[in-house]
Amino acid sequence: MNLDAQQRIGFIGAGNMAFGIAKGMLSGNVLPANIKVSAPSSMNLGRFQELGISVTHSNTEVVCGSDVVFVAVKPHMIPRVLIEVSQHITKKQIIVSVAAGVTLAMLEELLPENSIVIRLMPNLPCLVQEGALLFALGTNAKGADGALLLSLLHCCGLVEEVPETWIDVHTGLSGSGVAFVYLFAEALAEGAVKMGMPSALAHSIASQTVLGAGKLLRDSGKHPAQLRAEVCTPGGTTIYGLHTLEQGGVRASVMSAVESATQRARDLGKK
Amino acid sequence: MPVFFTGSDLDVKRKLKHVDCGIITFCIMSVGFIGAGQLAQALVRGFSVAGVIATHRITASSPDTELPTVQQLRKLGVNFTTSNKETVSRSDVLFLAVKPHIIPFVLDEIGPDIEDRHLIVSCAAGVTISSIEKKLQQYRTSPKVMRCMTNTPVVVREGATVYATGTHAEVEDGKLLEQLMASVGYCTEVEEDLIDAVTGLSGSGPAYAFLAVDALSDGGVKMGLPRRLAVRLGAQALLGAARMLLDSEQHPGQLKDNVCSPGGATIHALHVMESGGFRSLLINAVEASCVRTRELQFLADQEKISPAAIKKTTLDKVLQQPGVTADAVGVRTRGINIFNNTSPKIKKN
Repeated sequence: MNLDAQQRIGFIGAGNMAFGIAKGMLSGNVLPANIKVSAPSSMNLGRFQELGISVTHSNTEVVCGSDVVFVAVKPHMIPRVLIEVSQHITKKQIIVSVAAGVTLAMLEELLPENSIVIRLMPNLPCLVQEGALLFALGTNAKGADGALLLSLLHCCGLVEEVPETWIDVHTGLSGSGVAFVYLFAEALAEGAVKMGMPSALAHSIASQTVLGAGKLLRDSGKHPAQLRAEVCTPGGTTIYGLHTLEQGGVRASVMSAVESATQRARDLGKK
Repeated sequence: MPVFFTGSDLDVKRKLKHVDCGIITFCIMSVGFIGAGQLAQALVRGFSVAGVIATHRITASSPDTELPTVQQLRKLGVNFTTSNKETVSRSDVLFLAVKPHIIPFVLDEIGPDIEDRHLIVSCAAGVTISSIEKKLQQYRTSPKVMRCMTNTPVVVREGATVYATGTHAEVEDGKLLEQLMASVGYCTEVEEDLIDAVTGLSGSGPAYAFLAVDALSDGGVKMGLPRRLAVRLGAQALLGAARMLLDSEQHPGQLKDNVCSPGGATIHALHVMESGGFRSLLINAVEASCVRTRELQFLADQEKISPAAIKKTTLDKVLQQPGVTADAVGVRTRGINIFNNTSPKIKKN
């Protein structure tokens, strides 16, 4: 259904998240002419313009001309921006905040009563339409608003509605998780370099390994332990390597990493 | 050809703050240091080599004339005095280069002598701009205060300095400080709440590097190198790597890869380092230093330190200064109030 084709979309903030989401929407049904982006400097606006999206320095202009407004500024800028545009927000608009650690309660406090607010937590691979985006509905947001957001974002990657309490966990798992994967990939490559492979080749193979494994994991529907077992021939190379990983306590480290990142997200949300 | 201005007219000084002579900028302001220890010495050395200010325009004071650094400062041509008040009267830019717990004494002592022209730059770790402003506001409505965190390599003009600007300091004051400190290394303005993190990183940083070179040279010695050569090579390796990184657009991870030939010596060594948790050790170190800085600041804000924290001899000397009384510097018989907000005449228990 072309629910989303008619929607006018606005972005306050022109960083990587805004860009990734915009690109995803364009891969769907949204026309560039229906998107507008604002940012204080022209620094990041060029890449939007190249996609045919109109740009401005006025946050108010974006708000007044949009049905759905993505607020994609850094968390500490949120109060300033929302206070600036608050008076222009109508009961019909959907405000989607992408700021880590800013709760629905905080957002609703800064916006007019009865505003429709959704809190969205994307991650970096939105830039290549392989994001993981979870959102939580605010007090006045209805199922239909969630459905609209879902249809707008479905080309950005995996999109699900969740209770707000899970958003911090998602930050730890998938927001930060992306960086954990990069660390792992770098270490894979270095292992290969140690064993005699040139660095550039090692890096490109490491990234392809991560990508390929990820795709197989997502599309096969099998449990990761199952897939792991399928790679391990008895007495073979993989089981030896895995043993070394287990001896290094990698599993516990990874769990702890997700835990610390999640806890930090929670702490930030309390301030 | 250097140009010197001797005019004492404030307007002349303000308008002709900096005279550009090609690369070198001569600052015609006078600079003073309260405190004549390691920091003062390092900065004066750096400024002197940089030629950014003539040493006879620098005054330094300390009650302790026995410090080895005092000798050095004298040799450099600095006007040394035991009177902080004299330093204040001879200076436009005033560096507070004493230990954090001495700051309140100093502020009480020089407070009455501060004038509109003075730019107070505190280098004391953990001492906030607002605490200094509060103290000085007893004497002056709009004291110009800045806070900087630098590090010891200023002595070889490779310092790392950040500064934060106080309520009444102007943009041009910041620029002035930046020009001074940029002559001895990297200098940039930051928000004050980042200064603790800077302390943890580049404030303490040189110590981490010294530790590293010491250990690296142990490794060299173990593998057969004479100690002197090992130290020289270890230090040069760090220096060279740092220079490459600063001159390059590339990420340190990339530069690291460039050094590691496949199956070679370096990648083997890096593996050993990773196994030892080298990275997390460094992260922990920066964190520990930053956290401790905050703790010290917190303790200071609590407004109570034991008399044992200040050397009795130093305190005695301070109290011997003309115009300084025990009351005025807030000395009590038990516990010392650092930031005494009430009138100094009223005794508190």
